[in-house]
Amino acid sequence: MKAIWAIAHGVIKELIRKKDFYVLLIFMLVLLGFLSYQTFFQIEGISRYVRDFGYSLVMLFSFIIAVTFTAKQIPSEIGARTIYPLLAKPLSRQKIILGKFLGGTMVSVISFTVFYLIFVGFYMTGGEGKSLVLLGQGFIFGILFLCMVSALVMFFSNFMTLSANITSTFLIYIAMGSVSEALKSNALFFKGIISGLYGFLYYLLPHFEFFDLRIRITHAWDALPLWVVFSVSGYTFLYCFVLLYFSGYVFGRKRF
Amino acid sequence: MQQVIIAKDLQYTYESGKRKIEALKGVDFSVKEGEIFGFIGPNGAGKTTTIKLLLGILNPQQGALSVFGQAPTDPKTRQTVGYMPEIADYYRYLTPKELLIMYGNIFGISKNVLHERIEKLLNLVDLEESSGRLMRTFSKGMMQKVSFAQALINDPDLLILDEPTSGLDPVSRKRTREVIQDLKEKGKTIFFSSHELSEVELISDRIGVLYKGELLDSGSAKDLLGGKEEGQSLESYFLKIIGEKR
Repeated sequence: MKAIWAIAHGVIKELIRKKDFYVLLIFMLVLLGFLSYQTFFQIEGISRYVRDFGYSLVMLFSFIIAVTFTAKQIPSEIGARTIYPLLAKPLSRQKIILGKFLGGTMVSVISFTVFYLIFVGFYMTGGEGKSLVLLGQGFIFGILFLCMVSALVMFFSNFMTLSANITSTFLIYIAMGSVSEALKSNALFFKGIISGLYGFLYYLLPHFEFFDLRIRITHAWDALPLWVVFSVSGYTFLYCFVLLYFSGYVFGRKRF
Repeated sequence: MQQVIIAKDLQYTYESGKRKIEALKGVDFSVKEGEIFGFIGPNGAGKTTTIKLLLGILNPQQGALSVFGQAPTDPKTRQTVGYMPEIADYYRYLTPKELLIMYGNIFGISKNVLHERIEKLLNLVDLEESSGRLMRTFSKGMMQKVSFAQALINDPDLLILDEPTSGLDPVSRKRTREVIQDLKEKGKTIFFSSHELSEVELISDRIGVLYKGELLDSGSAKDLLGGKEEGQSLESYFLKIIGEKR
């Protein structure tokens, strides 16, 4: 565990010292600040718009950090040739993957926490209904979402170039919101092999939409029942475990 | 003295589609405890492949290889091995001290021992004043010094160095040679590859000449040059032996 943490720690240090996070942070503060300023003009529904936009920004910016930081972990080790001293150390290749995954996840979770706290600040000062339980659930779902994104990116980095990895993950992120429902209904509508194919794709693709509480938080709906929170958590752990298992397997067989 | 490295009929072939490159064609050698073994050969001779096999990064396809009587892939073996790569652009957003802490933690070194050792190592490679600077500001030579320090972080019994003096100024080169000699005196075994033949001649107890995956000759510099005209250097011997094979 100490070795895994040592690798992850290096990734976190990089986040603190690079400008990426600070640029996104300033960008978010400016955008949310500007939108909140509009509330002074009593435009109807503006605080809901701030919530909707703010939540989307938090998720998008955290997603960007998770993807960009995790995607470059292995390629940059290979490019800088630091992979060799790392492989020569007394740790398995699976632990290297776990360390890099943990680092990528931690970096995005730290960024997400900062972004989310800012969002909560704007949320609490808005005039509409508030649900702290729902905000807590939003925070948990955000972390689960970032774990899944990092695991997916880590898996892809075994097969893809850095740019292909980032593009593919972005496409899946954008597509899953609309494709997921279509896959499900087609699996139910069709029969036989076609139904099986749609069903297979539905279960194979990562359901990022499970973690999206944007509408619920924007309109301050009721908090989710606990079984939903546990089910989504279980789904995330299982999906991450499978992805990391195969990442470790492929990375372990790779010739450097 | 105990044999630290034993390689028998070591073979390795890289395959890329239909193309096959025989990197090692049955290499035999051994390195004794406390010995400095210099590995020389032109580019593409198979030196780096041999080093990767010694580190357990690659597995031999044929033949046998043991380090301290164990397989190099065994994490226990790696615990006692230090490795300095030829080129490595270490994490630009870390300081040398942070890099050494990271590697030290991977080796499971306790905090007190680690901090004491890092201080000594940074002193040894003359980087104590730059220990808090981010490595993105480092020159190639400074990066080599960091690389040398990280190879020693676990106080290894076997040190594998790939071009250890490449990119260093003459003073730092001399210093590195002295450190290598000091390590030998402490009973450490050193296996290193270099294109700097005068350096290899100067510090190696034994030298192995590798060419196109075959070990052409091995022995002490005296043995290799023995019986030849007086005043012949390792460089002229090397050029001659390689020339004969071309």
